[in-house]
Amino acid sequence: MRIVVAEDSVLFREGLVRLLEERDHKVMAAVGDAEQLMNAVMDHHPDVAVVDVRMPPGHDSAGAKMARRIREEWPEVGVLLLSQHIELRDCVDLIGTPGFGYLLKDRVLHLDDFNDALIRVAAGGVALDPEVIQALVRGRRTPDALRALSERERQVLALVAQGHSNSVVARKLGLSDRTVEAHLRSILTKLGLDDDGTTNRRVRAVVAYLESEAPPDS
Amino acid sequence: MHRAVTGAATLVPCVGIALSVVTAQAGVDLLVVSMVALVAVGAGWVVTIRLPSSAVGPALAWCSSAIVLISINDVLAASAYTSNPLPLASAARHFWVGAWPVNLAGLLILLLVFPDGMRSGRIWVAIPWVYAAGTTLMIVAMWDAQQTGGTVEGTSATWRTALSLVGILVVSACFIAAAVSMVKRYRAGDDRSRLQIRWLLAAGLVVMVLLAGGWAAEGLGASINAAYTPFLVAIVVLVPAAVWLAMVRHDLFDIDRLLSDGTALLVTLVASAAIFGGVVAVVSRSVGLASGWGAATAGFVTALVLLPLHRSVARVVGRLVDRDRFVAVAAVEGFASDVHAGRRQAEEIEAVLQEAQRDPDLRVALVRGNGWTDLAGQSVVEPAGFTVKTGGDTIARISLGWDSVRARRRLAELAKAAWVPLEVSRLRLVLKQALEDAEASRTRLVDAAATERKRLERELHDGAQQRIIATGMRLRSLQRGLSSTASAEVDTAIAELESTVAELRRLAHGVRPSRLDDGLRPALEGLLAASPIPVHLQVDCLPETDDTRTLTAFLVVSEAVTNALKHSRADHIAVRVGVQGDRLTVEVSDNGVGGIPASGLTAIRDRVASVGGGLRVHSPSGCGTTVSAVV
Repeated sequence: MRIVVAEDSVLFREGLVRLLEERDHKVMAAVGDAEQLMNAVMDHHPDVAVVDVRMPPGHDSAGAKMARRIREEWPEVGVLLLSQHIELRDCVDLIGTPGFGYLLKDRVLHLDDFNDALIRVAAGGVALDPEVIQALVRGRRTPDALRALSERERQVLALVAQGHSNSVVARKLGLSDRTVEAHLRSILTKLGLDDDGTTNRRVRAVVAYLESEAPPDS
Repeated sequence: MHRAVTGAATLVPCVGIALSVVTAQAGVDLLVVSMVALVAVGAGWVVTIRLPSSAVGPALAWCSSAIVLISINDVLAASAYTSNPLPLASAARHFWVGAWPVNLAGLLILLLVFPDGMRSGRIWVAIPWVYAAGTTLMIVAMWDAQQTGGTVEGTSATWRTALSLVGILVVSACFIAAAVSMVKRYRAGDDRSRLQIRWLLAAGLVVMVLLAGGWAAEGLGASINAAYTPFLVAIVVLVPAAVWLAMVRHDLFDIDRLLSDGTALLVTLVASAAIFGGVVAVVSRSVGLASGWGAATAGFVTALVLLPLHRSVARVVGRLVDRDRFVAVAAVEGFASDVHAGRRQAEEIEAVLQEAQRDPDLRVALVRGNGWTDLAGQSVVEPAGFTVKTGGDTIARISLGWDSVRARRRLAELAKAAWVPLEVSRLRLVLKQALEDAEASRTRLVDAAATERKRLERELHDGAQQRIIATGMRLRSLQRGLSSTASAEVDTAIAELESTVAELRRLAHGVRPSRLDDGLRPALEGLLAASPIPVHLQVDCLPETDDTRTLTAFLVVSEAVTNALKHSRADHIAVRVGVQGDRLTVEVSDNGVGGIPASGLTAIRDRVASVGGGLRVHSPSGCGTTVSAVV
């Protein structure tokens, strides 16, 4: 995969580049601020851009703002945001949309999971950190639309919302693939989503999940 | 013109002196009268020169010169009946007895023109002419009458008696009219002319007292000369001196005070004497004891009543004679007692003093530290003026817009009455300043702490955490070429690093919840998610607020909820965050046991106060607790 990395900490950037290259990805550019990021994306049209949320100038959520611009200007470029902690101010509406991921930085240390997330985002899927999901659903009562779901079905949907495939969900919950599929069908039916046989349906389920959860005025 | 009149008045005593020196018949009396008159004429000259347009100078000079004139006439007239008549003696003889009203002509004119010229109006202008007519009547009535020893001869005819009676009536009417003129002038006059009239009044009072004393002395058997000399000296010396002072240096002494205190003393003395006499009479007559007892009782009673009597007399006289000062001091004293009773604010003292002093430009400056400040707390440059002290320390300075010796004297008295409000104002300012300083310092501290928290949080996230993860990534890279045992070791090390990162994240969150960056609502949602009992969170649409304020609101909720969870035994908590103007309102209520003291939650109370807000704890026992704060 062709990747652009934007990260202001040299230590972290070099480590990340090294890990990505060891996984046979091609790092087209590794930059340290928002402006260089935009130039690199314009020049290289990578499959995915890995972007730190806090970046110069200002060390505020410049990275999140850039993510939005990249998604608007080059929809074919996936964006994976990395952050030290959950900071959703400037990207909450991107969450759950195709081709966007948000992970805590320490997830990088789990190379396989991280690689999966990269691939999913590059392919137009989603990859969300469990902490992000938790932050969004925290402190809220279960909305009506999801009330019909069983506890297990909600767990499955939460994992799907993070962007995981059926088999990963099955492994994480200690279930068989078949059981997960059954749960998923049940979820889709209960949410009133037609079975049109595409992965797009999964995304729609996730969006429904997040939309019902995300605060309306955030 | 005025100088010429004063000059003529000067000639008269000079002639008198010359006459008494040259001729033996004149005697010592004329010499003494002329010498004394010269002094009064000197006063007249001073006024004439200092105030050339005023008629007071010439009138003053003629006050005594007229007396000398009559004395000269007496000497001349007397010589006509001797073997050795002086020149003009035959002419002077005709006026000998009848011309006496001329003695008082100067005084009459003085009363009419003092202190600022003749009053306009036909009546007043006519008075001197009427007086002249009355004098003429007297002269005609006493034409050729002759004094021998103490008696007057040659006035037995009925027409003379009738005419002289009319003359006396006319002369008296003129003096009454002059007195009325003076009263009217006093009533209509401004501060200055009233003050000048008071000088004359004071001298007049002394003259009256001395006259009364003269009567008393005569009654007690003193010789006429001894009895009336003080009175004569007073009228020839004291009245001109008073007029001179009034015209030239009217605020040299505190005439108000002098007059007031003098009158009060006099009235007290007379009243005491009356009491003494009355008690002696009553005791001796009714009880019939020895006179020694009567005197002793009277002395005792008099001594008892003397002080209170003097006080109340001084008050009454003060109110009548020196009304301005009395009213002004009473106003300031009344204000001071109002301040004491909490009815008025001490800071109004400047306005009160301005009104009492009748000086709208009067300013009060208070000492604050090493500098000066006005009553509103604005710094001012060190003012000149009257210094108010307590216990040796300067507390205030009062500067006058209209400065004069008299104004300063008045101010000194007012300041004596005003020192309590002044000191209260000063102390309040000092206190306010200290409070403001403390508040500002606290705000600075809290702001600094908030900034520091934010910096620390950033440091943790962007420094330590970042490096640990970078180290982890290096380990991952190294792991590739390792044996499975070594690789497992690396996995363990990385897991260790991960939990360290998680630990740091928790730490940073405690320092300052980073979700505050996303806004107060997400931060509160994160906070309340951890609650073991249901929390209902309602957050209104919030405006952008500064970091310290947001953090404070967050900490209020955090502390109040923690408190409720710990102590209230509630099963439900409601959190409401709203907006009030540019401030946030925070309300945390539970349905627990209540009973938290209203002064509780000190830590957040201080914090809320530091952003200029307030915290209220309403916690009736058994009825839940509501903590509300405005930040």
